[in-house]
Amino acid sequence: MDENCGIITFYSSSHAVHAEKVLKSAGYLAELVPGPKDISPNCGVALRYDYENTDKVKELLEQKGVAYEACHLYRAPQRKSLLDLLLGR
Amino acid sequence: MPVYLDNAATSWPKHPDVFAAMARFMQEDAGNPGRSGHSMSVAAARTVFAAREAVASIVGAQSPERVVFTKNATEALNVILFGLLTNGGHVITSSVEHNAVMRPLRYLERQGVRLSVVVCDGRGLLDPDDIRRAVSPETKLIILTHASNVCGAIQPIAAVGRIAREYGVPFAVDAAQTAGSEPINIAQDYIDFLAFTGHKGLGGPQGTGGLVLAEDRDLPPLLHGGTGSLSDSEYQPEFLPDKLESGTLNAVGLAGLAAAVKVTAARFDVLRQRKKELLATFFDGLAAVPGVKTYGPINPEQNAGVVSITIRDRVSSEVGLALDRVFGILTRTGLHCAPAAHKTLGTFPQGTVRLSLGASTTSQEITTALEAISRIADMAG
Repeated sequence: MDENCGIITFYSSSHAVHAEKVLKSAGYLAELVPGPKDISPNCGVALRYDYENTDKVKELLEQKGVAYEACHLYRAPQRKSLLDLLLGR
Repeated sequence: MPVYLDNAATSWPKHPDVFAAMARFMQEDAGNPGRSGHSMSVAAARTVFAAREAVASIVGAQSPERVVFTKNATEALNVILFGLLTNGGHVITSSVEHNAVMRPLRYLERQGVRLSVVVCDGRGLLDPDDIRRAVSPETKLIILTHASNVCGAIQPIAAVGRIAREYGVPFAVDAAQTAGSEPINIAQDYIDFLAFTGHKGLGGPQGTGGLVLAEDRDLPPLLHGGTGSLSDSEYQPEFLPDKLESGTLNAVGLAGLAAAVKVTAARFDVLRQRKKELLATFFDGLAAVPGVKTYGPINPEQNAGVVSITIRDRVSSEVGLALDRVFGILTRTGLHCAPAAHKTLGTFPQGTVRLSLGASTTSQEITTALEAISRIADMAG
């Protein structure tokens, strides 16, 4: 993952999938990723999004009745991520 | 090709999109939905969610998370009944319920629950005022079948729902015979808990079904276990759908169900219209055969597509065997897991021959069935 990105964590994978649909329908970039265990022990899937849109995204999810745990600014540890290392980025 | 008239037991054939979706799921997406974060688990979770959305849409539920999947309608009914009645109280039901409702209720009655069984008329239809007369301050639930699996009688669920709402009593509906083939709207029918099966009118595979909870309703879990959520906790989550879905879902089945509901919803009006027309033809034809007695409503508007008959004094199983072996017509004979309904209709203990129409039933098949029944009635005379 990028050094700073938005991650929404959820209590249930049903909520995560629902949120992905809602965000994508509204034109936001959203991608289901494995839930980072260092920010939440909960659901195995989380949603990556552009952190700058947090206020609007929260409003949209609340409006559509999609439950979520929290929106995080995820700062990866200060070293290259495994993905970057393996993919030579 | 058999003439398949046992759709009340399970619908057949299924639409090709259904097995295509299931095969594709098994080959490509078959992770454990909602457990792992990898792409296959996510693909499986999306598939399950699509099934939730499809079911929510066809019953008028607002949020997909309020669709809970179980292996069949019976399990869903057990979740509802044991969820609401284990602490006693009074429950009202009709006299034409399937054993999926009656057996849990009779068991709960033995545990101290007071059970009122409201008697339906000779055609299997319920008068909503009889429900009103049965309500008491201790009534915890009114549970009703949407349509009888024995005689097809479609119950006035909206009228009963309105009464239940008036008295502040939760209303549960067993839609095993109607989901996918008769109109259902959770809000307009005042339904608090709806039990459905995936493998009948919705056209999906066996092993799928569930319940839908109205927005402000809740139930305790029947099964406790892993849900892929709150994994740091040894207690069941409080949020839906996870609260009521412990263990791995029948995801491949739900892939089939999602495809099935999509097809069924798109063809709903056309199929229903055709079914009503075929029922009219069938009832007209049966009325003209001496020795045949029909049970249940003969007005197609009041019948969900299930026709029960007896032929003179012949045992129903013998008639069923003849229909199958001589004419290739597949039906279900006997008591159809609904002894209460047969007692109401006056066909207990001998039972009936039940012919049930489905999405694929053609007018040629109805003609064939009428000819066969005519021949049998002749022989039996």
